[in-house]
Amino acid sequence: MNQQQHMNGGARKAVFAPVDNRARVDAVVGRLGDAIELGLLADGEQLPGESELAGQLGVSTVTLREALMALRQQGLVTTRRGRGGGSFVSLPEVPGEERLRVRLRSWSTEELRDLGDHWAALSSTAARLAAQRTEPEDLVQLRRTAEELTHAEGAAARGRVYGRFHVELAAAAQSARLTREQVALQTEVGALLCLVLGNDEYREEAAARHRSVISAVQDGAHDSARELAERCVQESTARLIAERLAL
Amino acid sequence: MSLATATPATAPEQLVAAGVRSALESVFDAVAATRADTTALLAKVAAQGRRPATVDLAALRPGLHLRLARHELVSGVGFVAAPGLLSDVPAWLEWWQSTSDGGIRPLLLDLDPEHSAYADYTHWDWFALPRDTGERAVAGPYVDYLCSDEYSLTLSAPVEVEGRFAGVAAADVYLRHFEAAVMPMLHQLPVPARLVNARGRVAASTDPRHLVGSLSKGPDFAEALAAGRAGYARGARLVPCDGVPLVLVMAER
Repeated sequence: MNQQQHMNGGARKAVFAPVDNRARVDAVVGRLGDAIELGLLADGEQLPGESELAGQLGVSTVTLREALMALRQQGLVTTRRGRGGGSFVSLPEVPGEERLRVRLRSWSTEELRDLGDHWAALSSTAARLAAQRTEPEDLVQLRRTAEELTHAEGAAARGRVYGRFHVELAAAAQSARLTREQVALQTEVGALLCLVLGNDEYREEAAARHRSVISAVQDGAHDSARELAERCVQESTARLIAERLAL
Repeated sequence: MSLATATPATAPEQLVAAGVRSALESVFDAVAATRADTTALLAKVAAQGRRPATVDLAALRPGLHLRLARHELVSGVGFVAAPGLLSDVPAWLEWWQSTSDGGIRPLLLDLDPEHSAYADYTHWDWFALPRDTGERAVAGPYVDYLCSDEYSLTLSAPVEVEGRFAGVAAADVYLRHFEAAVMPMLHQLPVPARLVNARGRVAASTDPRHLVGSLSKGPDFAEALAAGRAGYARGARLVPCDGVPLVLVMAER
Protein backbone atom coordinates (compact mmCIF):
# COMPACT_ATOMS: atom_id res chain seq x y z
CA MET A 1 0.00 0.00 0.00
CA ASN A 2 1.60 3.28 -1.03
CA GLN A 3 1.94 6.41 1.03
CA GLN A 4 -0.91 8.28 -0.63
CA GLN A 5 -3.38 5.61 0.34
CA HIS A 6 -2.32 5.90 3.94
CA MET A 7 -2.84 9.64 3.89
CA ASN A 8 -6.56 9.62 3.15
CA GLY A 9 -9.97 8.31 3.99
CA GLY A 10 -12.30 7.85 6.94
CA ALA A 11 -10.90 8.83 10.30
CA ARG A 12 -7.54 9.49 8.68
CA LYS A 13 -8.86 12.58 6.94
CA ALA A 14 -9.28 14.23 10.33
CA VAL A 15 -5.69 13.41 11.24
CA PHE A 16 -4.43 15.96 8.72
CA ALA A 17 -7.14 18.62 9.17
CA PRO A 18 -5.90 22.03 10.40
CA VAL A 19 -5.20 22.27 14.13
CA ASP A 20 -6.25 25.27 16.22
CA ASN A 21 -4.06 28.16 17.30
CA ARG A 22 -3.48 27.17 20.89
CA ALA A 23 -0.33 25.25 21.61
CA ARG A 24 0.21 24.24 18.03
CA VAL A 25 3.30 22.17 18.63
CA ASP A 26 1.47 20.15 21.30
CA ALA A 27 -1.53 19.82 19.04
CA VAL A 28 0.57 18.45 16.18
CA VAL A 29 2.44 16.10 18.51
CA GLY A 30 -0.85 14.88 19.97
CA ARG A 31 -2.53 14.44 16.60
CA LEU A 32 0.28 12.53 14.92
CA GLY A 33 1.18 10.62 18.09
CA ASP A 34 -2.43 9.46 18.54
CA ALA A 35 -2.64 8.45 14.89
CA ILE A 36 0.50 6.35 15.31
CA GLU A 37 -0.80 4.75 18.52
CA LEU A 38 -4.07 3.89 16.80
CA GLY A 39 -2.28 2.37 13.84
CA LEU A 40 -3.79 4.96 11.47
CA LEU A 41 -0.20 5.69 10.50
CA ALA A 42 1.68 2.45 10.13
CA ASP A 43 5.12 1.50 11.37
CA GLY A 44 7.62 2.42 8.65
CA GLU A 45 5.20 4.66 6.78
CA GLN A 46 6.69 7.82 5.31
CA LEU A 47 5.07 11.09 6.34
CA PRO A 48 4.42 13.72 3.66
CA GLY A 49 7.21 16.25 3.05
CA GLU A 50 7.59 18.97 5.66
CA SER A 51 6.06 21.80 3.66
CA GLU A 52 3.17 19.65 2.43
CA LEU A 53 2.45 18.29 5.90
CA ALA A 54 2.69 21.76 7.46
CA GLY A 55 0.26 23.03 4.81
CA GLN A 56 -2.23 20.24 5.45
CA LEU A 57 -2.11 20.76 9.20
CA GLY A 58 -2.28 24.54 8.85
CA VAL A 59 0.91 25.21 10.82
CA SER A 60 4.21 26.84 9.90
CA THR A 61 7.13 24.59 8.95
CA VAL A 62 8.94 25.81 12.07
CA THR A 63 6.08 24.57 14.25
CA LEU A 64 6.00 21.29 12.39
CA ARG A 65 9.76 20.79 12.86
CA GLU A 66 9.43 21.33 16.60
CA ALA A 67 6.61 18.81 16.70
CA LEU A 68 8.61 16.28 14.69
CA MET A 69 11.51 16.78 17.08
CA ALA A 70 9.24 16.00 20.04
CA LEU A 71 7.91 12.92 18.24
CA ARG A 72 11.50 11.82 17.56
CA GLN A 73 12.27 12.18 21.25
CA GLN A 74 9.25 10.00 22.03
CA GLY A 75 10.61 7.50 19.53
CA LEU A 76 7.51 7.67 17.33
CA VAL A 77 9.22 9.19 14.29
CA THR A 78 12.64 8.73 12.75
CA THR A 79 14.15 11.07 10.19
CA ARG A 80 16.50 9.93 7.45
CA ARG A 81 18.54 12.44 5.48
CA GLY A 82 19.42 12.54 1.83
CA ARG A 83 17.97 10.77 -1.19
CA GLY A 84 14.91 8.72 -0.26
CA GLY A 85 15.00 10.44 3.12
CA GLY A 86 12.21 12.03 5.11
CA SER A 87 10.28 11.38 8.28
CA PHE A 88 9.05 7.88 8.98
CA VAL A 89 6.71 6.42 11.55
CA SER A 90 8.57 4.14 13.91
CA LEU A 91 7.07 2.17 16.73
CA PRO A 92 9.69 1.81 19.46
CA GLU A 93 10.19 -1.29 21.57
CA VAL A 94 8.67 0.35 24.64
CA PRO A 95 5.23 -1.18 25.30
CA GLY A 96 2.40 0.81 23.69
CA GLU A 97 0.67 1.20 27.00
CA GLU A 98 3.66 3.03 28.47
CA ARG A 99 3.71 5.49 25.57
CA LEU A 100 -0.03 6.03 25.91
CA ARG A 101 0.43 6.92 29.57
CA VAL A 102 2.97 9.56 28.53
CA ARG A 103 0.38 10.92 26.15
CA LEU A 104 -2.37 10.85 28.75
CA ARG A 105 -0.15 12.84 31.10
CA SER A 106 -0.24 15.72 28.59
CA TRP A 107 -3.99 16.05 29.21
CA SER A 108 -5.24 17.86 32.32
CA THR A 109 -8.27 16.34 34.05
CA GLU A 110 -10.16 19.50 33.08
CA GLU A 111 -9.35 18.91 29.41
CA LEU A 112 -10.40 15.28 29.67
CA ARG A 113 -13.64 16.25 31.39
CA ASP A 114 -14.33 18.80 28.65
CA LEU A 115 -13.52 16.27 25.91
CA GLY A 116 -15.99 13.90 27.57
CA ASP A 117 -18.65 16.63 27.69
CA HIS A 118 -18.26 17.31 23.98
CA TRP A 119 -18.35 13.61 23.17
CA ALA A 120 -21.39 13.00 25.39
CA ALA A 121 -23.23 15.86 23.68
CA LEU A 122 -22.52 14.38 20.25
CA SER A 123 -23.32 10.77 21.07
CA SER A 124 -26.41 11.37 23.19
CA THR A 125 -27.95 13.61 20.53
CA ALA A 126 -27.03 11.12 17.83
CA ALA A 127 -28.69 8.30 19.83
CA ARG A 128 -31.88 10.32 20.31
CA LEU A 129 -32.12 11.21 16.61
CA ALA A 130 -31.23 7.69 15.52
CA ALA A 131 -34.09 6.34 17.67
CA GLN A 132 -36.45 8.68 15.85
CA ARG A 133 -35.08 8.09 12.37
CA THR A 134 -33.93 4.53 12.31
CA GLU A 135 -35.22 1.51 10.51
CA PRO A 136 -33.98 -2.06 10.99
CA GLU A 137 -31.39 -1.95 8.19
CA ASP A 138 -29.65 1.00 9.87
CA LEU A 139 -28.89 -1.18 12.87
CA VAL A 140 -27.07 -3.91 10.99
CA GLN A 141 -23.75 -2.03 11.02
CA LEU A 142 -24.09 -1.02 14.68
CA ARG A 143 -24.83 -4.62 15.70
CA ARG A 144 -21.85 -5.89 13.76
CA THR A 145 -19.63 -3.32 15.46
CA ALA A 146 -20.91 -4.17 18.96
CA GLU A 147 -20.28 -7.82 18.16
CA GLU A 148 -16.76 -7.07 16.90
CA LEU A 149 -15.95 -5.23 20.12
CA THR A 150 -16.70 -8.37 22.13
CA HIS A 151 -14.14 -10.28 20.05
CA ALA A 152 -11.51 -7.63 19.26
CA GLU A 153 -8.08 -8.60 20.55
CA GLY A 154 -5.55 -5.94 21.38
CA ALA A 155 -6.23 -2.52 22.83
CA ALA A 156 -5.70 -0.66 19.53
CA ALA A 157 -8.28 -2.75 17.67
CA ARG A 158 -10.73 -2.28 20.53
CA GLY A 159 -10.20 1.49 20.46
CA ARG A 160 -10.89 1.60 16.70
CA VAL A 161 -14.05 -0.50 16.89
CA TYR A 162 -15.31 1.41 19.94
CA GLY A 163 -14.86 4.67 18.01
CA ARG A 164 -16.57 3.26 14.93
CA PHE A 165 -19.66 2.51 17.00
CA HIS A 166 -20.04 6.19 17.83
CA VAL A 167 -19.42 7.24 14.21
CA GLU A 168 -22.05 4.77 12.99
CA LEU A 169 -24.48 6.01 15.62
CA ALA A 170 -24.08 9.55 14.26
CA ALA A 171 -24.63 8.24 10.72
CA ALA A 172 -27.80 6.45 11.88
CA ALA A 173 -28.98 9.86 13.11
CA GLN A 174 -28.84 10.89 9.41
CA SER A 175 -26.62 13.85 10.31
CA ALA A 176 -23.50 14.48 8.22
CA ARG A 177 -22.36 17.22 10.61
CA LEU A 178 -22.64 15.10 13.75
CA THR A 179 -20.84 12.31 11.89
CA ARG A 180 -17.95 14.55 10.83
CA GLU A 181 -17.63 15.92 14.39
CA GLN A 182 -17.64 12.40 15.79
CA VAL A 183 -14.95 11.23 13.34
CA ALA A 184 -12.75 14.19 14.36
CA LEU A 185 -13.38 13.58 18.05
CA GLN A 186 -12.55 9.90 17.80
CA THR A 187 -9.11 10.71 16.37
CA GLU A 188 -8.44 12.61 19.63
CA VAL A 189 -9.98 10.24 22.14
CA GLY A 190 -9.49 6.92 20.36
CA ALA A 191 -5.84 6.37 21.26
CA LEU A 192 -6.46 7.24 24.92
CA LEU A 193 -9.39 4.84 25.09
CA CYS A 194 -7.02 1.99 24.34
CA LEU A 195 -5.80 2.46 27.93
CA VAL A 196 -9.18 1.62 29.45
CA LEU A 197 -10.32 -0.90 26.82
CA GLY A 198 -7.30 -3.12 27.37
CA ASN A 199 -9.13 -4.29 30.48
CA ASP A 200 -11.29 -7.28 29.42
CA GLU A 201 -13.91 -6.65 32.04
CA TYR A 202 -14.43 -3.06 30.95
CA ARG A 203 -14.37 -4.03 27.28
CA GLU A 204 -17.28 -6.40 28.01
CA GLU A 205 -19.10 -3.68 29.94
CA ALA A 206 -18.64 -1.23 27.05
CA ALA A 207 -19.94 -3.79 24.54
CA ALA A 208 -22.98 -4.39 26.78
CA ARG A 209 -23.59 -0.64 26.97
CA HIS A 210 -23.42 -0.45 23.16
CA ARG A 211 -25.93 -3.28 22.85
CA SER A 212 -28.33 -1.52 25.20
CA VAL A 213 -28.07 1.68 23.13
CA ILE A 214 -28.89 -0.35 20.01
CA SER A 215 -31.94 -1.90 21.70
CA ALA A 216 -33.28 1.51 22.75
CA VAL A 217 -32.68 2.89 19.24
CA GLN A 218 -34.46 -0.10 17.74
CA ASP A 219 -37.44 0.39 20.06
CA GLY A 220 -37.64 4.05 19.10
CA ALA A 221 -37.18 4.86 22.80
CA HIS A 222 -35.39 8.12 22.09
CA ASP A 223 -35.12 9.37 25.67
CA SER A 224 -33.58 6.20 26.98
CA ALA A 225 -31.34 5.91 23.90
CA ARG A 226 -30.02 9.38 24.67
CA GLU A 227 -29.47 8.56 28.35
CA LEU A 228 -27.79 5.23 27.67
CA ALA A 229 -25.41 6.74 25.12
CA GLU A 230 -24.59 9.58 27.48
CA ARG A 231 -23.88 7.18 30.33
CA CYS A 232 -21.68 5.05 28.08
CA VAL A 233 -19.54 8.08 27.23
CA GLN A 234 -19.49 9.36 30.82
CA GLU A 235 -18.30 6.00 32.09
CA SER A 236 -15.43 5.90 29.58
CA THR A 237 -14.46 9.48 30.41
CA ALA A 238 -14.56 8.76 34.15
CA ARG A 239 -12.25 5.78 33.65
CA LEU A 240 -9.84 7.87 31.59
CA ILE A 241 -9.78 10.56 34.29
CA ALA A 242 -9.18 7.91 36.96
CA GLU A 243 -6.23 6.63 34.88
CA ARG A 244 -4.93 10.18 34.58
CA LEU A 245 -5.19 10.78 38.35
CA ALA A 246 -3.31 7.56 39.04
CA LEU A 247 -0.29 8.68 36.97
CA MET B 1 -59.76 13.82 -1.85
CA SER B 2 -62.90 13.62 -3.94
CA LEU B 3 -63.58 10.33 -5.68
CA ALA B 4 -64.70 12.20 -8.78
CA THR B 5 -61.23 13.41 -9.65
CA ALA B 6 -60.04 10.87 -12.16
CA THR B 7 -56.33 11.20 -12.89
CA PRO B 8 -55.41 11.94 -16.49
CA ALA B 9 -52.10 10.58 -17.76
CA THR B 10 -50.48 14.01 -17.77
CA ALA B 11 -51.53 14.94 -14.24
CA PRO B 12 -48.95 17.09 -12.44
CA GLU B 13 -48.07 14.16 -10.16
CA GLN B 14 -47.15 12.06 -13.20
CA LEU B 15 -45.01 14.86 -14.59
CA VAL B 16 -43.15 15.10 -11.27
CA ALA B 17 -42.63 11.33 -11.10
CA ALA B 18 -41.34 11.37 -14.67
CA GLY B 19 -39.04 14.31 -13.90
CA VAL B 20 -37.54 12.56 -10.85
CA ARG B 21 -37.10 9.38 -12.83
CA SER B 22 -35.38 11.23 -15.63
CA ALA B 23 -33.00 13.00 -13.19
CA LEU B 24 -31.92 9.68 -11.67
CA GLU B 25 -31.84 7.90 -15.04
CA SER B 26 -29.20 10.39 -16.17
CA VAL B 27 -27.11 9.31 -13.15
CA PHE B 28 -27.78 5.66 -13.99
CA ASP B 29 -26.44 6.47 -17.48
CA ALA B 30 -23.12 7.35 -15.84
CA VAL B 31 -23.28 4.09 -13.84
CA ALA B 32 -24.11 2.07 -16.96
CA ALA B 33 -21.23 3.61 -18.93
CA THR B 34 -18.83 2.84 -16.07
CA ARG B 35 -20.18 -0.68 -15.87
CA ALA B 36 -19.74 -1.18 -19.63
CA ASP B 37 -16.15 0.15 -19.57
CA THR B 38 -15.28 -2.02 -16.57
CA THR B 39 -16.87 -5.15 -17.98
CA ALA B 40 -14.99 -4.71 -21.27
CA LEU B 41 -11.72 -4.05 -19.46
CA LEU B 42 -12.04 -7.06 -17.16
CA ALA B 43 -13.04 -9.29 -20.07
CA LYS B 44 -9.95 -8.15 -22.00
CA VAL B 45 -7.68 -8.93 -19.05
CA ALA B 46 -9.35 -12.32 -18.58
CA ALA B 47 -8.77 -13.08 -22.27
CA GLN B 48 -5.05 -12.55 -21.65
CA GLY B 49 -5.27 -15.36 -19.13
CA ARG B 50 -4.34 -13.28 -16.09
CA ARG B 51 -5.96 -11.62 -13.10
CA PRO B 52 -6.58 -7.87 -13.17
CA ALA B 53 -4.50 -5.52 -10.99
CA THR B 54 -5.00 -1.94 -9.83
CA VAL B 55 -2.81 -0.70 -12.67
CA ASP B 56 -5.33 -2.10 -15.21
CA LEU B 57 -8.11 -0.02 -13.67
CA ALA B 58 -6.26 3.19 -14.59
CA ALA B 59 -7.74 2.68 -18.07
CA LEU B 60 -11.14 3.59 -16.60
CA ARG B 61 -10.01 7.08 -15.61
CA PRO B 62 -10.69 9.07 -18.81
CA GLY B 63 -14.30 7.84 -18.80
CA LEU B 64 -14.74 8.53 -15.09
CA HIS B 65 -13.37 12.06 -15.45
CA LEU B 66 -15.65 12.71 -18.41
CA ARG B 67 -18.71 11.58 -16.44
CA LEU B 68 -17.84 13.80 -13.48
CA ALA B 69 -17.55 16.74 -15.86
CA ARG B 70 -20.71 16.00 -17.84
CA HIS B 71 -23.20 14.88 -15.21
CA GLU B 72 -24.17 17.80 -13.05
CA LEU B 73 -25.71 15.61 -10.35
CA VAL B 74 -22.76 13.24 -10.08
CA SER B 75 -20.13 14.14 -7.45
CA GLY B 76 -18.33 10.81 -7.30
CA VAL B 77 -18.09 7.89 -9.73
CA GLY B 78 -16.13 4.71 -10.12
CA PHE B 79 -15.74 0.98 -9.82
CA VAL B 80 -15.57 -0.82 -6.48
CA ALA B 81 -13.87 -4.18 -6.78
CA ALA B 82 -15.15 -7.26 -5.00
CA PRO B 83 -12.55 -8.30 -2.41
CA GLY B 84 -10.16 -10.81 -3.99
CA LEU B 85 -10.74 -9.65 -7.56
CA LEU B 86 -7.41 -7.89 -7.98
CA SER B 87 -4.07 -9.65 -7.84
CA ASP B 88 -2.08 -6.93 -6.05
CA VAL B 89 -4.44 -5.69 -3.30
CA PRO B 90 -7.17 -7.36 -1.21
CA ALA B 91 -9.72 -4.59 -1.91
CA TRP B 92 -9.93 -1.47 -4.04
CA LEU B 93 -12.06 1.50 -5.05
CA GLU B 94 -11.17 3.12 -8.37
CA TRP B 95 -13.10 6.19 -7.32
CA TRP B 96 -13.01 9.80 -8.43
CA GLN B 97 -14.72 12.82 -6.88
CA SER B 98 -15.39 16.43 -7.81
CA THR B 99 -13.83 18.97 -5.47
CA SER B 100 -15.50 22.15 -4.22
CA ASP B 101 -13.22 24.25 -6.45
CA GLY B 102 -14.34 22.46 -9.60
CA GLY B 103 -11.43 20.02 -9.88
CA ILE B 104 -11.37 16.26 -9.57
CA ARG B 105 -9.41 13.98 -7.26
CA PRO B 106 -9.05 10.27 -6.65
CA LEU B 107 -10.37 8.81 -3.41
CA LEU B 108 -7.51 7.07 -1.64
CA LEU B 109 -8.74 4.99 1.25
CA ASP B 110 -6.80 2.97 3.75
CA LEU B 111 -8.29 -0.48 3.22
CA ASP B 112 -5.88 -2.32 5.49
CA PRO B 113 -7.89 -3.82 8.37
CA GLU B 114 -4.79 -3.58 10.58
CA HIS B 115 -5.04 0.23 10.45
CA SER B 116 -8.57 1.13 9.60
CA ALA B 117 -11.85 0.22 11.25
CA TYR B 118 -13.52 1.07 7.93
CA ALA B 119 -11.62 -1.29 5.66
CA ASP B 120 -14.54 -3.61 4.89
CA TYR B 121 -17.00 -1.95 2.53
CA THR B 122 -18.98 -5.04 1.53
CA HIS B 123 -21.88 -4.44 3.94
CA TRP B 124 -22.83 -1.01 2.55
CA ASP B 125 -26.13 -1.06 0.65
CA TRP B 126 -24.52 0.33 -2.54
CA PHE B 127 -22.32 -2.76 -2.65
CA ALA B 128 -24.53 -5.44 -1.07
CA LEU B 129 -27.78 -4.70 -2.97
CA PRO B 130 -26.40 -5.14 -6.53
CA ARG B 131 -24.31 -8.12 -5.37
CA ASP B 132 -27.27 -9.89 -3.77
CA THR B 133 -29.98 -9.04 -6.32
CA GLY B 134 -28.00 -8.78 -9.56
CA GLU B 135 -29.98 -5.58 -10.22
CA ARG B 136 -29.12 -1.91 -10.19
CA ALA B 137 -29.93 -0.14 -6.92
CA VAL B 138 -30.34 3.22 -5.21
CA ALA B 139 -28.82 3.34 -1.72
CA GLY B 140 -29.74 6.07 0.73
CA PRO B 141 -30.32 8.75 1.70
CA TYR B 142 -27.43 7.93 4.09
CA VAL B 143 -24.41 9.61 5.66
CA ASP B 144 -21.45 8.47 3.57
CA TYR B 145 -18.62 8.60 6.12
CA LEU B 146 -16.49 6.26 4.02
CA CYS B 147 -15.99 8.36 0.89
CA SER B 148 -17.43 11.87 0.98
CA ASP B 149 -18.70 12.72 4.50
CA GLU B 150 -21.85 13.91 2.72
CA TYR B 151 -25.52 13.03 3.03
CA SER B 152 -25.93 11.13 -0.22
CA LEU B 153 -27.69 8.82 -2.60
CA THR B 154 -25.49 6.21 -4.26
CA LEU B 155 -26.67 4.58 -7.48
CA SER B 156 -24.96 1.34 -8.37
CA ALA B 157 -25.06 -1.69 -10.65
CA PRO B 158 -23.30 -5.07 -10.53
CA VAL B 159 -20.30 -5.78 -12.78
CA GLU B 160 -19.87 -9.38 -13.84
CA VAL B 161 -17.08 -11.21 -15.59
CA GLU B 162 -17.75 -14.65 -17.04
CA GLY B 163 -20.97 -14.80 -15.02
CA ARG B 164 -19.24 -14.02 -11.73
CA PHE B 165 -19.76 -10.95 -9.56
CA ALA B 166 -16.66 -8.74 -9.85
CA GLY B 167 -17.79 -5.59 -8.03
CA VAL B 168 -20.08 -2.62 -8.57
CA ALA B 169 -20.09 0.43 -10.82
CA ALA B 170 -21.51 3.37 -8.88
CA ALA B 171 -22.13 7.11 -8.76
CA ASP B 172 -22.74 9.44 -5.79
CA VAL B 173 -25.35 12.18 -5.74
CA TYR B 174 -25.18 14.55 -2.78
CA LEU B 175 -28.62 15.11 -1.29
CA ARG B 176 -28.29 18.89 -1.53
CA HIS B 177 -27.76 18.58 -5.30
CA PHE B 178 -30.65 16.12 -5.63
CA GLU B 179 -32.83 18.52 -3.67
CA ALA B 180 -31.91 21.41 -5.96
CA ALA B 181 -32.88 19.28 -8.96
CA VAL B 182 -36.26 18.04 -7.73
CA MET B 183 -37.61 20.84 -5.52
CA PRO B 184 -38.78 23.03 -8.43
CA MET B 185 -40.89 20.07 -9.57
CA LEU B 186 -42.30 19.33 -6.11
CA HIS B 187 -43.21 22.99 -5.70
CA GLN B 188 -45.48 22.77 -8.73
CA LEU B 189 -47.78 20.35 -6.96
CA PRO B 190 -50.87 21.83 -5.30
CA VAL B 191 -50.21 20.10 -1.95
CA PRO B 192 -47.15 19.46 0.25
CA ALA B 193 -45.26 16.49 -1.15
CA ARG B 194 -42.18 14.36 -0.52
CA LEU B 195 -40.09 11.68 -2.16
CA VAL B 196 -39.38 8.61 -0.02
CA ASN B 197 -37.33 5.46 -0.62
CA ALA B 198 -38.63 1.90 -0.28
CA ARG B 199 -37.97 1.98 3.47
CA GLY B 200 -39.81 5.26 3.97
CA ARG B 201 -36.74 7.51 4.30
CA VAL B 202 -37.49 11.02 2.98
CA ALA B 203 -35.12 12.12 0.19
CA ALA B 204 -36.73 15.49 -0.62
CA SER B 205 -39.77 17.29 0.78
CA THR B 206 -41.89 20.41 0.51
CA ASP B 207 -43.75 19.29 3.63
CA PRO B 208 -42.31 20.83 6.83
CA ARG B 209 -43.84 18.00 8.86
CA HIS B 210 -41.69 15.48 6.98
CA LEU B 211 -38.07 16.60 6.81
CA VAL B 212 -35.33 15.09 4.66
CA GLY B 213 -33.75 12.14 6.48
CA SER B 214 -36.81 11.42 8.61
CA LEU B 215 -38.81 8.21 8.32
CA SER B 216 -42.36 8.13 7.03
CA LYS B 217 -44.11 5.34 8.86
CA GLY B 218 -47.36 3.69 7.94
CA PRO B 219 -47.73 2.98 4.24
CA ASP B 220 -45.71 0.11 2.78
CA PHE B 221 -43.63 1.97 0.22
CA ALA B 222 -41.89 -1.15 -1.05
CA GLU B 223 -45.32 -2.55 -1.89
CA ALA B 224 -46.31 0.67 -3.66
CA LEU B 225 -43.13 0.42 -5.76
CA ALA B 226 -43.80 -3.23 -6.57
CA ALA B 227 -47.39 -2.40 -7.60
CA GLY B 228 -46.00 0.16 -10.05
CA ARG B 229 -49.09 2.37 -10.15
CA ALA B 230 -50.47 5.28 -8.19
CA GLY B 231 -52.85 4.67 -5.30
CA TYR B 232 -53.86 5.74 -1.83
CA ALA B 233 -52.62 4.51 1.53
CA ARG B 234 -53.56 5.89 4.94
CA GLY B 235 -54.95 9.03 3.42
CA ALA B 236 -51.88 9.85 1.33
CA ARG B 237 -51.52 9.66 -2.42
CA LEU B 238 -48.58 7.42 -3.43
CA VAL B 239 -47.10 7.70 -6.91
CA PRO B 240 -44.16 5.40 -7.71
CA CYS B 241 -41.45 6.90 -9.93
CA ASP B 242 -41.36 3.82 -12.19
CA GLY B 243 -37.91 2.44 -12.78
CA VAL B 244 -36.31 4.22 -9.82
CA PRO B 245 -37.10 3.14 -6.25
CA LEU B 246 -38.65 6.39 -5.00
CA VAL B 247 -42.30 7.09 -4.22
CA LEU B 248 -43.90 10.53 -4.51
CA VAL B 249 -46.12 10.99 -1.44
CA MET B 250 -48.71 13.75 -1.36
CA ALA B 251 -50.66 14.86 1.66
CA GLU B 252 -54.40 14.92 1.29
CA ARG B 253 -55.78 18.31 0.56
